[in-house]
Amino acid sequence: MIRAPLLSQGLRLGRRASSAAVDAAGRAALVGLDALLDWRYTDEAVRRVLSSPAADRAVGHALRGPLVDAMARDVARYAVLERVTGELAADQAELERVVGSALESPAVERIAAQVIESRLLDTIVERLLLSEDLWLLVDEIAHSPAVTDAIGQQSIGFADQVAGQVRVRSQRADAGLERVARRVLRRGAADRVTPEREER
Amino acid sequence: MTVTQAAVSVGAQAAAPPAPAAPRPKYAGLVTRALAFAVDAAIVDLTGGFVGVVVGLALSVLKTPDEVDKLLLAIGGVLFVLWTISYFVAFWSTTGQTPGNRVMRIRVRRSDSDEPLRMRWALVRLVALALAAIPLLLGFLPILLNERRRGLQDLLGRSVVVHAPLG
Repeated sequence: MIRAPLLSQGLRLGRRASSAAVDAAGRAALVGLDALLDWRYTDEAVRRVLSSPAADRAVGHALRGPLVDAMARDVARYAVLERVTGELAADQAELERVVGSALESPAVERIAAQVIESRLLDTIVERLLLSEDLWLLVDEIAHSPAVTDAIGQQSIGFADQVAGQVRVRSQRADAGLERVARRVLRRGAADRVTPEREER
Repeated sequence: MTVTQAAVSVGAQAAAPPAPAAPRPKYAGLVTRALAFAVDAAIVDLTGGFVGVVVGLALSVLKTPDEVDKLLLAIGGVLFVLWTISYFVAFWSTTGQTPGNRVMRIRVRRSDSDEPLRMRWALVRLVALALAAIPLLLGFLPILLNERRRGLQDLLGRSVVVHAPLG
């Protein structure tokens, strides 16, 4: 009967000792990890690991496995995209910077060039040209008041320009013809008001 | 009126700035007026011609005697003359600008004021225009020599033709 309390006390002491040992070992491991991270060869070691075929294989395995599905689920579950876009939208300047740098990047330029040169664009254009809806749309735009007004304005502007030139030249011709007439009839140059004189 | 009031009045009149002189009109020359008249003649002739063609086509399906044709031709001629008279008289006596004048930015007005011609003077001017054309267009010669660029039709119609820029 006396042995039972002693046994339980002994067990408690043993658990405490093992817990303290685990704690000490954990702290020692962390110190060791810090030392390892600060070690001057660590960076090189990490670089070699990452550029090794083993890392490729590991990434391949990870991408083939359920990890990607799990990540996608978590991205959707925790609204990661919404949060990121929300943050970007809140900071307008940052958003503009990100979009601007993305658009100006050579990669985007290359992609755009590839899209333009690809058969895809030709196919899209061909299909669009075959579509009746496109021609309906073009018809609508061509007959829209804005377009007809613009064409009308341009025509009026051109006609006015031509008429303006005709007016200027006719006034010069008026003066010239009068000079000739005066010379022929041997009349002195009267103090006539000619448009050209007044313009001067 | 007291002496003081009279003195103030005289002083005020003396101090009043002189009224700005009216700008001297720019009279339109022969070439400009001829171009404007050409535009008007084109409008009158094309309109008359179009109406004549339409009426002629309509009548061509009917078998009408020669006498009737001649009568219709005479009526058409009279109508054309009336149309021509109406065209010029109406424009000269209202805005002073025919469409041709509008294109060339000139305006017919009275010789003594800035008003458009009265209807009867517009009519006189049109008759004088025809008279000026009869002797080998010699009636238009004064436009080249006259100080105010007035031809026979302007002298008889008491009119001048001035430049009328828009605005």
